[in-house]
Amino acid sequence: MVNVSIKVNGEMRTASVPPETTLLRLLRDNFNLTGAKLGCDVGDCGACTVIVDGLPVNSCLMLANQVDGREVLTIEGLATTDKLHPLQKKFEEFGSLQCGFCGPGIIMSAKALLDENPAPTVMQIRDALGGNLCRCTGYAKMIEAIQAVANGSIEPVASKSA
Amino acid sequence: MRPFEVYAAKDSNHAVALLAQHTATSKVKVIAGGTDLLADLKFSAHSPDVIVDISRVEDLKGLKITDEGLNIGALVTHSQIMRSPIIQEMFPALVDAAHSIGAVQTRNLGTLGGNLVTGVPSMDSGPTLIALDALVNIIGSTGRRQLPLIDFFLGPRKTVLKPDELLAEIIIPRQNLGKPTHFLKFGLRKGQALALVNVAASIWIDWDKNVFVAPRIALGAVAPKVIRAPKAEAYLEGRTVTPEAMAEAGRIASTDARPITDFRASAEYRRDLVAVLTKRALEAAYALGQSKR
Repeated sequence: MVNVSIKVNGEMRTASVPPETTLLRLLRDNFNLTGAKLGCDVGDCGACTVIVDGLPVNSCLMLANQVDGREVLTIEGLATTDKLHPLQKKFEEFGSLQCGFCGPGIIMSAKALLDENPAPTVMQIRDALGGNLCRCTGYAKMIEAIQAVANGSIEPVASKSA
Repeated sequence: MRPFEVYAAKDSNHAVALLAQHTATSKVKVIAGGTDLLADLKFSAHSPDVIVDISRVEDLKGLKITDEGLNIGALVTHSQIMRSPIIQEMFPALVDAAHSIGAVQTRNLGTLGGNLVTGVPSMDSGPTLIALDALVNIIGSTGRRQLPLIDFFLGPRKTVLKPDELLAEIIIPRQNLGKPTHFLKFGLRKGQALALVNVAASIWIDWDKNVFVAPRIALGAVAPKVIRAPKAEAYLEGRTVTPEAMAEAGRIASTDARPITDFRASAEYRRDLVAVLTKRALEAAYALGQSKR
């Protein structure tokens, strides 16, 4: 067994897991954070995307031990109890998801993109989503939602209902 | 995945010591970015007993100009290559090659050394480095050796690396710093595609005579390993730069290639791609040379 201490969504978490445990399994099975999805489990589909030390990665392709001492952000770290993250809000407004399985990974990829490049071109958005497969939507409404967030056209959730 | 033990190396000496210690008695694999290894292990019945984790070995993460040339640590990721100001300035072809690998998530994890040690003939890191006469430093318990990258590959998924050795560093020799180079990949999609063919062309130009000097053409996915196109290079050496010469070099390069037919493309189609991509890579390398003049 290996002991792993990780800051997940701002909170220190520890676990003792078998050495072959991936970060994805650690998050889902040990920390009960099931937002990151197990899709292909080989780094093709991106459903497991999380942000480690600021960079989006496939959590199925990292051993838990490799993340010891590092900082992980998952989809659960974006919204608060009373407010969605702007990306989540715009995805909802634009109807960007259908079945939703790819959603957590797509949104984490989009967040990492906007953190690095607040005003991406459509090509840059498409490139950033190149590692996230969606078989429902055709991506167009996701790209529109990401553009809307980048353009700052997002309205605060509170004022919208007012 | 089947169970295995993991030993994390603190530095490259420690990594080599761990390899020496465990390869004597166990089946050992090295993990760096993990993008190839873990994907393989999940479907493999022959998983290792021991994994040596080198992902935190800081002394293999350097990227700097030295007396030898540009030294790139084996653990430099594809994303780091894309973001490196030195590489952007000197070798935009390496940025393009790194960008053509996998997707953002895999480029953030996957390392240059990891891509090379796969020995896969369609690897996108190989052609540009080979066109730049890159060398590799290998470290092991018996010492250190250096060889040209092109000799590092033996065949599909086969390299000269012994079980107790590590690829430590990739070096682009000093005389090739800033050599105009262009990389092109043809895949079936823009994202996450394997190359049907990839090509790198690297050329100096004698501007007084407008002739090619030290032309290099490297081809991927058209032979059991990444190869150079010796006949096309010989044709170009000392020849006046013209569109016709570049097109002819492409045609000759397609006869240097030894592609196979598989489910992705026929050998004939790959040969045609070699001719077209070689010509375009030469044109782009020449344009880059002109812009830097």
